Amino acid sequence: MNDTMSATEHQDYSTAPQATTSNPPEIEHEVVIEIDDVNFSYDKKKDVLQDITLDLRKNEVTAFIGPSGCGKSTLLRCMNRMNDLIPNAGLTKGEIRILGTDIHAPEVDVIELRKHVGMVFQKYNPFPKSIYENVAYGLRIQGIKNKAILDEAVETSLISAGLWEEVKDRLDASGLGLSGGQQQRLCIARTIAVQPKIILMDEPCSALDPLSTATIEDLITKLKHDFTIAIVTHNMQQATRVSDKTAFFYLGELIEFSDTTKLFTNPSVKATEDYISGRFG
Amino acid sequence: MSDQPQADEPIKFRRKGFKFLGLGLQEYIKYFFGGNASLAIIVLVLICTFLLKEGIAFFPDYNKELREYRQTGQEFVDYADRQIDAHTRINSDANIAYYAELNQSSKFEDDILSAYRSVGSFVRSATSSETDQLKRYTERIEDLEDNLAKLAEAPATDEIDGRAQIQQLAVELDDYQQRSEKLKGEILTHFRLHLANESIWENVRPGIHLSKESKELVLTAVLHKQPGVKEEYPEIKQLMADSSAKKKVATESLAEFKSTITALSKAVRPMKSFVRDLKDIASENAREAKKFSTAELRYDALLKGSEKAATESDKQRFIEQAGAVDRTKPNFEEITKPLIAKTDEHNKLSVELQKEIARLVPLLPKNPATESARENLQKVQGNAANFPNIAEESREEMMDWNFDKKNSVFHALGAFFFGKHWISNSSWRDFYGILPLFTGSLLIALIALAVAVPFSLAAAIYVNQLASRREQNFIKPAIEFIGAIPSVVLGFFGILVLGTALRNVSQIEALSWIPGFPMAERLTILNAGLLLAFMAVPTIFTLAEDALNNVPQALSENSFAMGASKLQTILRVVFPASISGIIAAVLLGFGRIVGETMVVLLVAGNKIKIPDFTEGIGVVTQPAHTMTGIIAQELGEVDKGSLHWGALFMVGLVLFFMSLVINFSAQRILKKLQKF
Repeated sequence: MNDTMSATEHQDYSTAPQATTSNPPEIEHEVVIEIDDVNFSYDKKKDVLQDITLDLRKNEVTAFIGPSGCGKSTLLRCMNRMNDLIPNAGLTKGEIRILGTDIHAPEVDVIELRKHVGMVFQKYNPFPKSIYENVAYGLRIQGIKNKAILDEAVETSLISAGLWEEVKDRLDASGLGLSGGQQQRLCIARTIAVQPKIILMDEPCSALDPLSTATIEDLITKLKHDFTIAIVTHNMQQATRVSDKTAFFYLGELIEFSDTTKLFTNPSVKATEDYISGRFG
Repeated sequence: MSDQPQADEPIKFRRKGFKFLGLGLQEYIKYFFGGNASLAIIVLVLICTFLLKEGIAFFPDYNKELREYRQTGQEFVDYADRQIDAHTRINSDANIAYYAELNQSSKFEDDILSAYRSVGSFVRSATSSETDQLKRYTERIEDLEDNLAKLAEAPATDEIDGRAQIQQLAVELDDYQQRSEKLKGEILTHFRLHLANESIWENVRPGIHLSKESKELVLTAVLHKQPGVKEEYPEIKQLMADSSAKKKVATESLAEFKSTITALSKAVRPMKSFVRDLKDIASENAREAKKFSTAELRYDALLKGSEKAATESDKQRFIEQAGAVDRTKPNFEEITKPLIAKTDEHNKLSVELQKEIARLVPLLPKNPATESARENLQKVQGNAANFPNIAEESREEMMDWNFDKKNSVFHALGAFFFGKHWISNSSWRDFYGILPLFTGSLLIALIALAVAVPFSLAAAIYVNQLASRREQNFIKPAIEFIGAIPSVVLGFFGILVLGTALRNVSQIEALSWIPGFPMAERLTILNAGLLLAFMAVPTIFTLAEDALNNVPQALSENSFAMGASKLQTILRVVFPASISGIIAAVLLGFGRIVGETMVVLLVAGNKIKIPDFTEGIGVVTQPAHTMTGIIAQELGEVDKGSLHWGALFMVGLVLFFMSLVINFSAQRILKKLQKF
């Protein structure tokens, strides 16, 4: 996909996404994540997600929107099984397939899964280590000790995350000494250093100022050439700016899922229209 | 709004309520709390001043003491004595080697005999009250038999009376014989009871391991030699004969070795008696010096007494006595001259001794049969090779020596902080060097830390990161409960349980490769270190667990999202993130260990000597004394204001400053680590 958006255009909030992104894509991308009729519960009693069916395609950005508590973050965390950390939580129905494999199958190693499905959290949380070690962390835990490989991975990841120019002279400084936006980009660099197939982003910009947000959004549109991205956001402008597809959730159900332009300009469900026009949420 | 102040009356913003001496209740409460806080600080300052005041005076006093040590010539004599020390070391190592060789041939018999004697003496002493009773019975029986015999022989004056007497005695005799038989039976039962107990073998000297048959033999022999039996059990008799026969053969084959050793020990005799003479002179000098240093005080005291005397005659007597006090300063140059005059003679003796050692040591066997002999002979060779150096050193020191050489101010400082001897109440001269106590404290603390830190950190990680809620609720209070055990109780446990257990474990043959095993002592550095580790665990565990708990959950979540396992997350993210808190925990634990007194006093063995580091890591199986222990032990018995008293205060000051340094460096480390 040929994306020509630039940072300056991000600040113009009224501008609709450009024609190239708004047109339905000619090529149907390969499906990477299939969410097939999934129910999810935190306590094995009440389902917080119901009958979710959704496909995420390669090299696309899919935005999850909806009011707080609608289950969009929960769904995101299902995709790399982060919910495993919560006792008693789990799918009660359906399955999630990534690259054709059911991720809850008994032979699946959750650690291997997470290496392929990276995640960026709402609150940026660099490890209390140097910038270099933060980015190299994922490789180090895989047992890579070769300095040359690590150096290269750190550099390319930081370049991809658009942070290289700002930190290349102080790679040994603490990751906690960076500004908020830089720390979030450091976390993105850390995630992409292990070369995942998919990156899950859980409200990556909600704790950032508008300028940093613009930088991150710019980064997301660049990253989708190499990765499949799912992003949870409360900011509907952000969804229109960065995503190709948008899914609207309400009370644990998937209300509408379609191309971003279509969903925002011509929603087919009333609830979606009410939500995007700010009547609730 | 009806009670609004009237327009002509100005509003007063005056404080209402309680007021005393111009201060309100709020102020009084504030000052009450402030007063409590400052009280703590005042007490702290008082303690510091007190310690410093009592402690610092030690150095001038010690300097004076050391100066006296020099002026009286005792220092000179100690220099001369050094060669004898070195010779003694060589001689005793050679002796150990000789006896190891000698006893090797009859080791089997000797081991059994030694076990037989230890077990026998234990059983006999355990039944000693009955045995004593039996002895009294036997004496009484003998008396009665004597009397009976006498009566039977004596011409009967009054037939009836005599017969009645005989009858009476016979009844008594019978009674005693019965009692005696009964007691013998009881004693035998007790013997059997004791011998059936497996713990009886704990009385046997460590290092002796008997086969099953030998143990049987020992038990039978001990049972055989019950009170009243003079003869040894035949097999034991045989063993004794065998042992002495074998020893005889061995003695013959080792005759050359023996004669060399005898010659070696004879070689030092002239030097020994010579130095003894020197010591007598120096001791006399020291008495003079002591007399002089107390004379002034006595003189002053008597004069003061005369002023307060009630009657004129008393006053006169006091003044007379004061006048009689000999206050002349001893002429140190004069009284040390006889010592210096003998330097040449000492040198001559030294040269002869060196020659003898150089001649005799090569005559010692080169290839002894036993490991112990080989080790000791090697030591002998090394020390003998070094002997000329020691002799030369001692000669030079004696040549350089001058009774009037001034000590610099730092002399006492050096003698205290680097002194290798802590000797009090000595007839020769007291020394207060902190080094033996410091090394003891340090070794014990290091062992305690080395054990406690991994143990408590692992426990903290487990409880905080891996344990289920139920496990947490059990483990945490259990570990914290350790802190509630009074240290004297732990010391008890250390003496009775841990000490014995450690020694028994160390005697297992399969573990003899561990340095320092088998252990001769129960009360050792190792024992104290282990107990202190146990005491430090709650402190380190609780603080480390808190530190781990303070690591944000999000950090580990991030790590999991990167594909890290639980273990990787703990080791690479959670643990490093909490490192500052963990270091603080360890340092606080260290402070707890260094300051602990009761346990080390009870368990460390209290031997004031720098541990012998030539054993390597095995050094921990030796006893030691500690800085805290020595204060607790000796402070109750010293005269207030004496040199010894000052020395103990200085030890306290050193402890105090150690704690200060630990705390200070802890804060520095924390600041450095908080960068990340």
